Amino acid sequence: MQYLLKAEIYKLFKQSKTYYALGALFSIELLILFSAYYQGTTIIDLLLENLKQKFYFEGTLLNGNLLIYLILNTLWFHLPLILMIVVSGTLTSEYKDRTLQTIMLQPVSKWKYIFSKYLVAIGFTLLVVGLLAASSFGLSYAFFGKGDLVVYLNGLNFFDATDAIKRLQWSFLSGALSMVFFSVASLTIAILFKEATKTWIVSAFFLILSNILLKVDFGDNWFNQLFFAKLNDTWQYFFYYTINWQQVIFNSVLSFAYCMLFMGAGIYWFHKKDIG
Amino acid sequence: MKRAAILFIFQILWMGLSAQEIDADLLKVKSRLDSILSFSTQLKLEVDISFINMPVKKAQMYYAKGKKVKFSSDDFVMLPKRGLDFSLNSLLEYSFITVDRGLEQRGAKMYKAINIIPTDKRADFSIATILIDTKLKRVMESEINTKKDGSYVLSFQYNTDARVLPDKVTVNFEIEKIRIPINFMGKDTELDRKKMKAAGTKTGAIYLTMSNYQIKSVL
Repeated sequence: MQYLLKAEIYKLFKQSKTYYALGALFSIELLILFSAYYQGTTIIDLLLENLKQKFYFEGTLLNGNLLIYLILNTLWFHLPLILMIVVSGTLTSEYKDRTLQTIMLQPVSKWKYIFSKYLVAIGFTLLVVGLLAASSFGLSYAFFGKGDLVVYLNGLNFFDATDAIKRLQWSFLSGALSMVFFSVASLTIAILFKEATKTWIVSAFFLILSNILLKVDFGDNWFNQLFFAKLNDTWQYFFYYTINWQQVIFNSVLSFAYCMLFMGAGIYWFHKKDIG
Repeated sequence: MKRAAILFIFQILWMGLSAQEIDADLLKVKSRLDSILSFSTQLKLEVDISFINMPVKKAQMYYAKGKKVKFSSDDFVMLPKRGLDFSLNSLLEYSFITVDRGLEQRGAKMYKAINIIPTDKRADFSIATILIDTKLKRVMESEINTKKDGSYVLSFQYNTDARVLPDKVTVNFEIEKIRIPINFMGKDTELDRKKMKAAGTKTGAIYLTMSNYQIKSVL
């Protein structure tokens, strides 16, 4: 298992598309950062418009913390898309190059092989989210400094700078779990479809569908609570003035369970299917 | 008949002239406040507006006679446009007349109520009502109807009888709920917007607590 993991990590970092993907992600992040700076001015003007009649404001809200929050808002669509392409590519390229058949000629257990792919995919996803978090915090604070964060969520919520940093860190952690879910799902899709283009189309469709369904209100029932698409904005719960930890933990456990379900199904199908 | 008409006109003119005199108690309070050359104080601000969640904020306030009040803070703070002018300068800046409205009760105490009506168009308020503690020569409450920013009700609390400047100020005002376009930011924004339409104007309050006054006075 250890050798399989090492081999998978080696293959992942050997392929050029991993670096293209990382390059694309950081370019997107930079782009979001600077567009967020201009968007931020409009947002603050709009949020504080009514209050300007009654109040003077001392200090600025256009700071690194607001920019990180705006990055978070847009990141959770671009990031899974690129992650899904890279992660599913680790299997589809092996189908295409027929290296999978070569590996399976070795004394390698099928389930261990695919399980190691899942583990490396999860590790890679966490690494990418970690790098994006570090660069978001680093760049935002370096250029725009720290300060209080204002978020519109059931009213205007103001957070002290230190509180805002903690909440942003938690939301990156929570977002990482959603990203893991999409990576795992894309690898399962790759097992089902084998071919790269089909896998990417289905993965992109899955992501778009999840985003659309996330915004659909199914009412206050069990389906709205348990449906996987609804769990992907758990990171937003950290920006309610009082964090509903019970809901956050419930959603996180459920997300983890969905990851296990998709992974279990993927391993089962891979084990059952012919590799040819 | 002719005599009665002359008397009536005379009475009207007399009332008009007497109304234009500036209330002596107000002048006493003003002169007491004017004795302060400058002061600085530590401000604690608590916001009580239904659609705003904000932690307690701190700021430093600086006042120098004849200059605009200055604030400094490490945090982002929202300071009410009215309520921090302890010198009464913003009310008495331009020419005005006063009308004695008699006594008003607040709690167990009676205070003198005075209307301040500006006679200069440059004034940013149309009428203000202030309650004065004539014995201790200080303002206890004021209601200011501004021309552009709605009305404010300010209540002042003093820790001791000797205090000229308040230790606590409550600023009450009306405020419209913010309107955010659908899907603009965050979660459940659309639902909130529906609620907002029904909600309309809200009342809000800001509680200011002053501490560590550093006062320079001529007295």
